[in-house]
Amino acid sequence: MTAGLAHYLDVATRFQASPEQASAPQWLRHLRAEALAHFERQGLPTTRDEAWKYSRLAPITEGAFQPVVRDARDAAHLASVVERLSLPGPRLVFVDGRLAPELSSVAGLPRGVTLKPLRDAVREDGALLESLVGQRALAKEHAFTALNAALLEEGALLRLAPSALSEVPVQLLFLTRGEGPVLSSPRILVDAGESSEATLVETYASAGPAGAGSGATFTNAVTEVTLGDNASLHHYKLQAEADAALHIGALHARQGRDSRFASHAFAFGGAMARNEVHAAFAGEGGDATLNGLYVGQGAQHLDNRTALDHAVPRCTSRELYKGVLDGQSRGTFHGLIRVRQDAQRTDSRQQNRNLLLSETAQADARPQLEIFADDVKCAHGAAVGRLDAQALFYLRSRGVPRAEAERLLTYAFAREVVEAVPAGPVRTNIEALLALKLPGAALREVKA
Amino acid sequence: MALLSVRNLHARVAGKDILKGIDLEVAPGEVHAIMGPNGSGKSTLASVLAGRDGYEVTQGEVLFDGKPLLELSPEDRAAAGVFLAFQYPVEIPGVGNIHFLRTALNAQRRVKGLEELDAMDFLQLAKEKSKLVQLDAAFMNRSVNEGFSGGEKKRNEVFQMAVLEPRLAILDETDSGLDIDALRTVAGGVNALRSPERGMVLITHYQRLLDYIVPDKVHVMAAGRIVRSGGRELALELEEKGYGWLGLEGGKAASAAGARR
Repeated sequence: MTAGLAHYLDVATRFQASPEQASAPQWLRHLRAEALAHFERQGLPTTRDEAWKYSRLAPITEGAFQPVVRDARDAAHLASVVERLSLPGPRLVFVDGRLAPELSSVAGLPRGVTLKPLRDAVREDGALLESLVGQRALAKEHAFTALNAALLEEGALLRLAPSALSEVPVQLLFLTRGEGPVLSSPRILVDAGESSEATLVETYASAGPAGAGSGATFTNAVTEVTLGDNASLHHYKLQAEADAALHIGALHARQGRDSRFASHAFAFGGAMARNEVHAAFAGEGGDATLNGLYVGQGAQHLDNRTALDHAVPRCTSRELYKGVLDGQSRGTFHGLIRVRQDAQRTDSRQQNRNLLLSETAQADARPQLEIFADDVKCAHGAAVGRLDAQALFYLRSRGVPRAEAERLLTYAFAREVVEAVPAGPVRTNIEALLALKLPGAALREVKA
Repeated sequence: MALLSVRNLHARVAGKDILKGIDLEVAPGEVHAIMGPNGSGKSTLASVLAGRDGYEVTQGEVLFDGKPLLELSPEDRAAAGVFLAFQYPVEIPGVGNIHFLRTALNAQRRVKGLEELDAMDFLQLAKEKSKLVQLDAAFMNRSVNEGFSGGEKKRNEVFQMAVLEPRLAILDETDSGLDIDALRTVAGGVNALRSPERGMVLITHYQRLLDYIVPDKVHVMAAGRIVRSGGRELALELEEKGYGWLGLEGGKAASAAGARR
């Protein structure tokens, strides 16, 4: 057994044996224990595992990350960070993986929409939770999902009654302070009833004490989404943690008949950040949009994986992932589209495009199509390129200095993904985060 | 003093000699037309003057306003007042036309120590200048040249020239591929920008342009050299007699000069 595995087993075992957790509901204790067994059986993946080939996991397996008890220092600073990152509307804020009630507010939730911390949901909605947790994200198939489940405590439940509509975005804001090797294991559950519609934003950011450099943290997040028939979820993941942060995230969605799921994943931060989005069609007529933008600099590793399971006929999926990679950063996209034998009339398109800004940046594009039905439309494309020399010369010939011209073209490349986000506070928020990442880039234009 | 002095300019592209000793003097206020068959080196001359990558100057020099031009970066040439209207304007998806132009103008203004124009002031200026070539507002909000017709692209070049107010404008086959209405519009814009301080070099394949923009001087290029210079009557003679009259078959000159781009 590796030292890394032993450490995380020890962390989870101690957590499960703690007096506080002894009083947890039986189903939850059972789920955690089972997940721990799955975790132990699988062990931590290494780059020798095909599915983890591009994820630089050493800092996670070597680091002694563990959950912490949150303290209340730096309240004013945290409040200012929340102010900067939050959207108008209900939100739950977590600091170092722990709910921060004083920074959270669920006021203004429309009728039929429930947003509550997972702790409360465990107490109040046990039966529902039992039917949701671990149903989409399978601990037996994914070591980090198992670790998340073994430590399951914090997170959120978003529940939409049939036909409920939340026009304001619901936000979950996860802040890490970077003052110690903190492990955060949020679990987010979305249960969207028939014909309901909502926007959920998961924001991951660092909030070290003002002026302090941020140390390594490890966020291991799992989101499970169940969409009822004709339901619609717009999901945004904005990952803008500090350079030293490690992040593994997996979202699993199951889509009912005629449902719409749009995932927009923005990966800007972290030394190593892996984001997985899995969508499975369980009813005909479903529609999935999986978009992503990853912007890497320095030595960042940004690993993106998507998996679409066209299990039933007449579903549509669209994927656009774009990478902007500078310095010695590395970005990967692995997109699996599985069209099962019965999934006739599937219409699926996947595109991955990468822009390399330096000689040493690297992009790996790995589309993977497994098509077992014959009456389908499936298209995919992958490209890795550099800034267009003709365009660069054109801009410079008008007087735009080289560096500025490069930024303009870089932003022009990235904006396609940003502009797939409907105009509004979420997009403004994304633009602000991108502006921090690509300084000097033009984000707004005045209309004539 | 000449605004532009090209002296014995030799240049090569991908190991091939294209320009073989060009001499050209353009004074402020003058409009020069450079004509010649395909492959004669006209566009290479434009590219070398604007600073495009991939062109190696092997001999000679270029002075702009008495100062060496060739050692400047493309953006520094632009700030000094050199403007190239592209033969094939580049489409840049995702970069807004108006934003691009404001960025360019402000970059040039910074170099000159002038205050940058804010968005509103710039918009006012752009609207005024756009009338010159009849570009409407919707057009300015689109991405640079993306999805523009040939005529729209060329009008956009002249519009940019109107906003940037260069001291030397080089128009590289701005008339090629234009219907007469578009040609009139483009020529009208160019004529409106003629001024005693500004020099212009019109590079063209077709004499028709010179019916709409009347040059002060006409040069004929063939096989990398200016083989004849004269007044406007030279262009008329060319129209009448063709390039063959100069003892240089277009096709022959083209093969001698190799591929232009």
